[in-house]
Amino acid sequence: MRARDNPFAVQRVLSVRYRLQDSSWDDLLARLAALNYRAAIVGAEGAGKTTLLEDLGTTLAESEWRIRRLRLNRNQPRFPRGFLTPLLSQLGPRDIILLDGAEQMGRLAWWRFLWRTRHCGGVVVTSHRAGLLPTLVHCTTTPQLVSEIVRSLLGDRAADLQPKLDSLFWEHHGNVRAILRELYDNFAAQQ
Amino acid sequence: MSELKLNVADGRMAFRPGEEIEVVAQWQLDEQPTSAELHLVWYTHGKGDGDSGVVRTIPFDSPGIAETRRCTLRLPKAPYSFSGKLISLIWVLELIVEPGARTERIDITIAPRGEEIILHQGLASE
Repeated sequence: MRARDNPFAVQRVLSVRYRLQDSSWDDLLARLAALNYRAAIVGAEGAGKTTLLEDLGTTLAESEWRIRRLRLNRNQPRFPRGFLTPLLSQLGPRDIILLDGAEQMGRLAWWRFLWRTRHCGGVVVTSHRAGLLPTLVHCTTTPQLVSEIVRSLLGDRAADLQPKLDSLFWEHHGNVRAILRELYDNFAAQQ
Repeated sequence: MSELKLNVADGRMAFRPGEEIEVVAQWQLDEQPTSAELHLVWYTHGKGDGDSGVVRTIPFDSPGIAETRRCTLRLPKAPYSFSGKLISLIWVLELIVEPGARTERIDITIAPRGEEIILHQGLASE
């Protein structure tokens, strides 16, 4: 199967947005406002934190917040020297910082970051662990969620995969990203 | 309601590297556009993060509300359109009209003999 035809190609997977469970976007935004726009999206790897943060940014931008996106990861666990000062000097009460990967920061760096962003309208982060900021959403995954995502990508063909999906869920500990990557490989191996 | 159309003049969708083609861009809009451009773009599609590049931009001067414009462009000699199991490289002609970033795209193939190179079937003989 050609990469362009693979239903689990990244470009198709990225079109699947976060599915709020037991909540609505209005509820989420109300909770964020109640937390004074300082909150954390918490969850394990592949649980949808980054996707939710992206969707939250899009929604907030529609309400005329200015969104500044920052990202840290294992390859880049800290901001380059001299990066934050000019950025933060431009921000004010209408700006919300969305920081993906806050758990990469050490304790001291995190507290300094919070202090330096106190003048901003808000800070929303993703983290593998709770405690950095009040939890806005704890992202979790279920076999049913994975089935829904696969159905949105495969349509009717998803029914054939259902027995495999359950075992993939437990094999990958609910990591949706890893599950979808394995499905990509499975389809790529098809003639 | 706005409508955009994009076609290659002779109706083909597959071309040899370096070939010159004529593109026909049409639009019918609800409001006066501020700009209209044709882009020749490549992008990757597959397992990893996508990548893309705009190789050529042709602006249409003083675009009106409803127009048909023609232009010629010479296609690049590389990279060829190809597909493997992990990645495909796809060429696209893209008409973008502002405001609103309204877009119309058509996929084209750029490769020797006009056929996408399929990597896992072995190298195509020249």
